[in-house]
Amino acid sequence: MTKMIIPIGPQHPLLKEPLSFQLTVTGERIVDSTLRIGYVYRGIERLAQERSYVQNLHLLERVCGICSHIHTTVYCQGVEALLELEVPPRGLYLRTLLCELERIHSHLLWMGVLAENVGFTTIFMYAWRDREIVLDIMEELSGGRVAHAVNIVGGVRIDLDEEHRDSILERLDLLRGKVEDLLGVVQHERSFRARTQGVGKMSLEQVRRHCVVGPVARAAGLDVDLRRDAPYAAYDRLAFRVVTAQDGDVWACTWVRMQEALESLRLCRQLLSELPEGPLAVKAARRVPAGEVVSRAEAPRGELLYYIRSDGSDRPARIKIRTPTLPVLSVLPEQLRGIHTADVPAVLSGVDLCIACADR
Amino acid sequence: MQVEEIVHALRKVFPTASIEPGQSPLDEAFVALPANCILAAVKLLVERFDIYHLSTITGQDTGREIELLYHFWAGGGLTLRISLPREGAHLASVTGLIPGAAFYEREVREMLGVAFDGLADQRPFLLPDDWDGGHPLLAHRPEEVPE
Repeated sequence: MTKMIIPIGPQHPLLKEPLSFQLTVTGERIVDSTLRIGYVYRGIERLAQERSYVQNLHLLERVCGICSHIHTTVYCQGVEALLELEVPPRGLYLRTLLCELERIHSHLLWMGVLAENVGFTTIFMYAWRDREIVLDIMEELSGGRVAHAVNIVGGVRIDLDEEHRDSILERLDLLRGKVEDLLGVVQHERSFRARTQGVGKMSLEQVRRHCVVGPVARAAGLDVDLRRDAPYAAYDRLAFRVVTAQDGDVWACTWVRMQEALESLRLCRQLLSELPEGPLAVKAARRVPAGEVVSRAEAPRGELLYYIRSDGSDRPARIKIRTPTLPVLSVLPEQLRGIHTADVPAVLSGVDLCIACADR
Repeated sequence: MQVEEIVHALRKVFPTASIEPGQSPLDEAFVALPANCILAAVKLLVERFDIYHLSTITGQDTGREIELLYHFWAGGGLTLRISLPREGAHLASVTGLIPGAAFYEREVREMLGVAFDGLADQRPFLLPDDWDGGHPLLAHRPEEVPE
C-alpha cells in the first residue's frame, strides 16, 4: 500500500498550542511519525539570567498558562533554600492550597479537551463549566484567574478570613459532587469507554525508558509522586493517596486524573480546616548567597524541576527549567506508531501536552 | 538511602576520579566525574541500581568551562557533574541506555554547542531551522558583546 504523509500542525484545530507532527500512514494505520517543537520558544532561561530574583517571579509565572503557580512555587522553594529562609506555616499552607486548586483546574480543563476531541461535547461543556468554580475561588484569593502572583520569595502575599474560608469549603463540596458526576458519566458511557479503552497504550517499560512523569506514568503503573516521595511545602503534614492504574491507555489516564482531582479536593478541605495562624511570609534579601540548588515539585502534569545557580548577586547566574511535558513528547512518536488515524486526537489529548511549558 | 549507596558504588568503580559528593540545599547529592566516565557511570545507575529516571541535563557556561549536570531521581536527588572545555566540547551520548535523554542532549547541543558522540538525531530542537545566531546560552565574552 502507498505511504502518505499527513502533517498535523504547527497550526491545527486538534492542537491548542503549536507543535508539528508528520504522520506517515499506510491506509488508516500510522507507520511512522516525526515531531518538531520550538514554535513558542521564548528563551525564558536566558531572560531569567538578565532579571533580578524578584522580577523573575513575574517572568517564570508565565512559562505556563495553566500551571503558573507551580512554576513560582518551585522557583521560590529553590531561592528560599539558597537564602536559608523558613517560610511560616500559614504561608506554606496557602501556597499548597493554590497548588491543589491549580491541579483541579488543570485536570478539569484536560477532561474537557479530551471529551471534545473524542466527540463528547457535552462533557467538554460540563467540565469547563465546573472548572469555573475553581477559577472563581482562585480569582477571589489572588485577583487572577490564570496568573495568580501568589508566591513571593519567603512566603505568599494572600490571606483569607474565616468567612471566606467557609464560603470556599461550601463551593468545594459542590464541586466534589460535580466531579463525581463527571466521573460517573465517563465511566458508564459506552461510547466514551470505546474511544479511550485500549487506545494509546503506554507500557511501564516505555515510561521508564523515556523518563515519563506524572499522571501518564502513574496510569501505566509507575507509583511515583513527589508530594509523597519528596514532600515540599505543606505536604508532609497532609494525608492523601497516590492514584495509580495499570493499563497505560487513555482510559487509565482519565481515571487517574479524575481520582486525583477528587483527592485534591480532599486536600483543599484539609488545608483550609487546618490552616495555621501566623505570618504569611518572611522578609527575603535581594542578593542571594552563591550556591546552587535543584528544586522539584509535582506539577499537575508531573515532576517539575528547576536548577538555580547563584553567584552572590541579585540575579541568578543560571536557571534551568524542565517541565513534565518534555518526556511525554519524547515517547509520543513511539506511542503513535501502529494506531489508527482516528485515534490520534484521543492519544494526543490523553497525555495532556503543554507546549508552552515544553518550549519555554 | 539509595543515593548514599549509589555514591558509594561510584566511588568504588572510579577510584582515580575526583568524586566529591556534596549536599546542596534541598538534599540533592552532587557527584563530580571526569567527562570520559559519564557513560560508565550512567551504565552503573541503569544496570546495577535500575535507575532510569534522568530528570534532565542542565548545561551551563560558567565562563571558564561548560558544565553539564545530569539530574537523576533515585528516591532522592542525585546530580552527576561533568566539566568540558569551552572550545570543541564533546561527550558520549547516553541515549543508548536512556532513550529519553535524547531531548535533553539535543537541547544542550543547540544551546551551548556541545557535541554528543552517538546522538542519532541532529535536527534543530527548539531553535528555528534557519537560526544563525549561535548558541544562545553561551556566556558573552567581552569582545563579543555588541556595542
